[in-house]
Amino acid sequence: MITRNLNDNCWLPHLGKISSIDNLGPEIKLLRVHLANGNGHSNEEFQPGQFAFISAFGVGEAPFGIASILTDDGSLEFAIQRLGNVTTALHELAVGDLIGVRGPLGNSFPMEKLEDKNLVVIGGGIGGAPLRPVIQYVNNNRNKFGELTILWAARSPSHLMFREDYESWRNIPNTNLHLTVDQPDDEWDGHVGLITELLDQVNPSSKNAIAITCGPPVMIFYADKLLSELGFSPDNRYVTLEARMHCGIGKCGRCNIGEKLVCVDGPVFSMDEVENFLEGYF
Amino acid sequence: MQTKLLQEHAQMLLDTAQVECVIGYSLSPRGLTRPMFIYRGEDVEQLVWNQHSSHNLAKYLREKIVDLGDTGKVAVVLKPCDTKSLNVLVAEHKIDRLRVHVIGMACSGVVKDNNQERLQDRCVECEMKQPLVYDYLIAAEHTPEVSPGEFDQDSWQTEFEDYSSEQKAEFWLAHFDRCLRCYACRQVCPVCDCPTCLFERDDSLWVGPGSSIQEKRMFHLGRAYHLAGRCTGCNECERVCPVNIPISKINQKLAQVIEGEFGFRAGIEAVPSPLLTVVSGKEYGG
Amino acid sequence: MNYIRQEDLHNWLADIGEEYRLTAPVEKDGVILYEPIQSLDEIVWDFEKPVNSIKEIFFPQTEILMELQISGNGSDEIKEVIPTEKNILLNVRPCDAHGLNCLDAMFLDDSPPDVYYAARRQNSVVMGLSCSHMGESCFCTSVGGSPGDTVGMDVMLSKYEEGFLVELLTPIGEALFSDLPVTEQVIEVESPFEKGLFPVPNEEILKKSFDSELWGMQAERCISCRICAYVCPTCRCFDIRDEVVGGSNGTKQANRIRCWDSCASEAYRRIAGGHNPRASKIERLRNRVLCKLYYYPQQYGMLSCVGCGRCIDACPVGMDITEIMSVLVEGPA
Repeated sequence: MITRNLNDNCWLPHLGKISSIDNLGPEIKLLRVHLANGNGHSNEEFQPGQFAFISAFGVGEAPFGIASILTDDGSLEFAIQRLGNVTTALHELAVGDLIGVRGPLGNSFPMEKLEDKNLVVIGGGIGGAPLRPVIQYVNNNRNKFGELTILWAARSPSHLMFREDYESWRNIPNTNLHLTVDQPDDEWDGHVGLITELLDQVNPSSKNAIAITCGPPVMIFYADKLLSELGFSPDNRYVTLEARMHCGIGKCGRCNIGEKLVCVDGPVFSMDEVENFLEGYF
Repeated sequence: MQTKLLQEHAQMLLDTAQVECVIGYSLSPRGLTRPMFIYRGEDVEQLVWNQHSSHNLAKYLREKIVDLGDTGKVAVVLKPCDTKSLNVLVAEHKIDRLRVHVIGMACSGVVKDNNQERLQDRCVECEMKQPLVYDYLIAAEHTPEVSPGEFDQDSWQTEFEDYSSEQKAEFWLAHFDRCLRCYACRQVCPVCDCPTCLFERDDSLWVGPGSSIQEKRMFHLGRAYHLAGRCTGCNECERVCPVNIPISKINQKLAQVIEGEFGFRAGIEAVPSPLLTVVSGKEYGG
Repeated sequence: MNYIRQEDLHNWLADIGEEYRLTAPVEKDGVILYEPIQSLDEIVWDFEKPVNSIKEIFFPQTEILMELQISGNGSDEIKEVIPTEKNILLNVRPCDAHGLNCLDAMFLDDSPPDVYYAARRQNSVVMGLSCSHMGESCFCTSVGGSPGDTVGMDVMLSKYEEGFLVELLTPIGEALFSDLPVTEQVIEVESPFEKGLFPVPNEEILKKSFDSELWGMQAERCISCRICAYVCPTCRCFDIRDEVVGGSNGTKQANRIRCWDSCASEAYRRIAGGHNPRASKIERLRNRVLCKLYYYPQQYGMLSCVGCGRCIDACPVGMDITEIMSVLVEGPA
């Protein structure tokens, strides 16, 4: 876990300037943030799977998975769905406005363990955001990883995340992208159905493979069950979990699932850890 | 003896499956009287009725009825003052009267937590010895001998009336200063049951979560207004306060005002408060 | 042992009050509370335990972490508000000092350290008062404490005749209290009477009983207020949010505040969007007890129940952690 403290006060956020805002879907925006007082910190410190607390000053902070690994201008990207007070305030900001960024927080995907393996990456809805840096990382280090299979799902075509990236993902060597939606629109000619149906159809081999699933807890539950049936052992199945958080650094006590704190022991967990959780994860 | 009759009746209700649960009082391992939920006939011996039966068990009705699904019935032990709370909940359509079997207890008062030789203030001048509504009445055998004490509500109110506005503000702000915002007063109240309390919103719309005197004043006075015309004076809010804020005095004052202006006392009948709910077309004060 | 008469201690404290803010048990409207005092006459010397704990001196119910100046044109400013007050806490019971020790494990020893708590902690001196007997709801001895325990204290006083026995325990205690007018006396001190122990469920029992119906039976009477967490010396769940306090000409001024919260409250884990993983009282009670007896020890290395019994005294509906522990270990009565 890498936690960076500014001035030794773990509560002080960096100031980040919004350099662009893109529409990702209904009520979902992608904020690109340039750290204003980075003091020479490079974004390479942020590992795939980690998150940061984003402040909408005057309202509060909330945790968001970091949705990119490295952008050309040294920015970070965050996918923000408008659901509550902080996210509503963030949606009302404009390019040039300042937000707070407190992070990177949490643990990360075990990229070294993933090397030389075939990867099955499963993203549902906005849950796909923390998986995007994984795909980017693999692309940047292509020969370190085996076959990459991406399964990407959403409620409807307009809810599919990061549509602009799909072509570049398909162009990554030895990579397949499979999409599915629950509800098609008139133009959709791809797979229709739940992620589990798509997974069943794609039927990825578990041999020398590791699966990572991110999405709503109920989706994780069913997708993970199917992965298990497909032969993926618990220590080769990874998930990111979420819980309401207020500090992200293991102090406020809120995000515990049993004796594990999602902010410090996670948010990335292997299923053999999750299966030993005392409390259910959703 | 009231306890014996209560146990027998509860056993009958459970054994004949007329109710799925009986909410009453029992003794904790430390000998403290506290709420108890009985589901089986063989457990009714745990039920007690004594002069420490202070809790307003109407509080648990709404949640328990939801728990029991579409048809289950719950029995509840209610003192006369508690039956007033039931009337308010029924009047506001918060609970279905048909789902509740009221075991009404005739009551000669409950004692203070910190001075068990004395009745609680609300009991000292209470004239309501019999429950207002019941499906089964357990009458009192005799009046136990506990000294009523010296509290005279009328004289307290009158003395308070003589305070200037500044003195009243000083009095209450000094009390609110100790408030922890633990919300015990709100949680113990049967008629305080908004799904999200106005004063506890995540967006701090009306008041923030902090412990400044402004916020605490807003919470207590605001809550008192929301209870005006609905509070039945069980005074549980005051009993449970860990820092001895005499919070129910505010509610009593508002109840007095409403009785004066509208001729209405909450919970005497199962009708809603006229305050903000009844438009009569009459002009008051004219 | 060193002995000081009460009036000598009183006079000595009068001088020290200039530089430090003195906090002691005081009586307000029939309630004993630890509070900052205006005059030494307020100090209560004869009491069992105050309703509140000393945690609020170090972890206030509400505190301002930062002041935010939001200008909207890319020149926002953040100013930390690091506390500077120096505290002497008087007549602190062993359970409360033990509670401080517990909070240290999380706020200080678990990286990263909390600068606000640390600033208050390092500017404070804890003067304890040992207990001559264990109260009705006390069970400190069951959870590794005792009526004469000195953990977390810089100085310990024990009542004796017309004054107190004095032990200076730490360099801070020695530095500050070394000029107390004490006399050496040969004293035979009786140990305070200690009650029998309540059983404390271990990790194995807690794990095995996670899905037991015992939790439901205990939780039913809970009304989901927060008294237990707020009077507890070790409960530390908090909320952080911004509050706008003013502003003009397009600039907003806000404070980032931290305030107490409790896992007992219904909305504690509810996320935007509405999902609430601990929607039932049963899950919330279980979480609270397990946090004290199992999760906190796993995360920070020690039990976070100090056996003070405040939760038992304060609970409006008679919830009792000693009963819950006994039921978990020995089964229902």
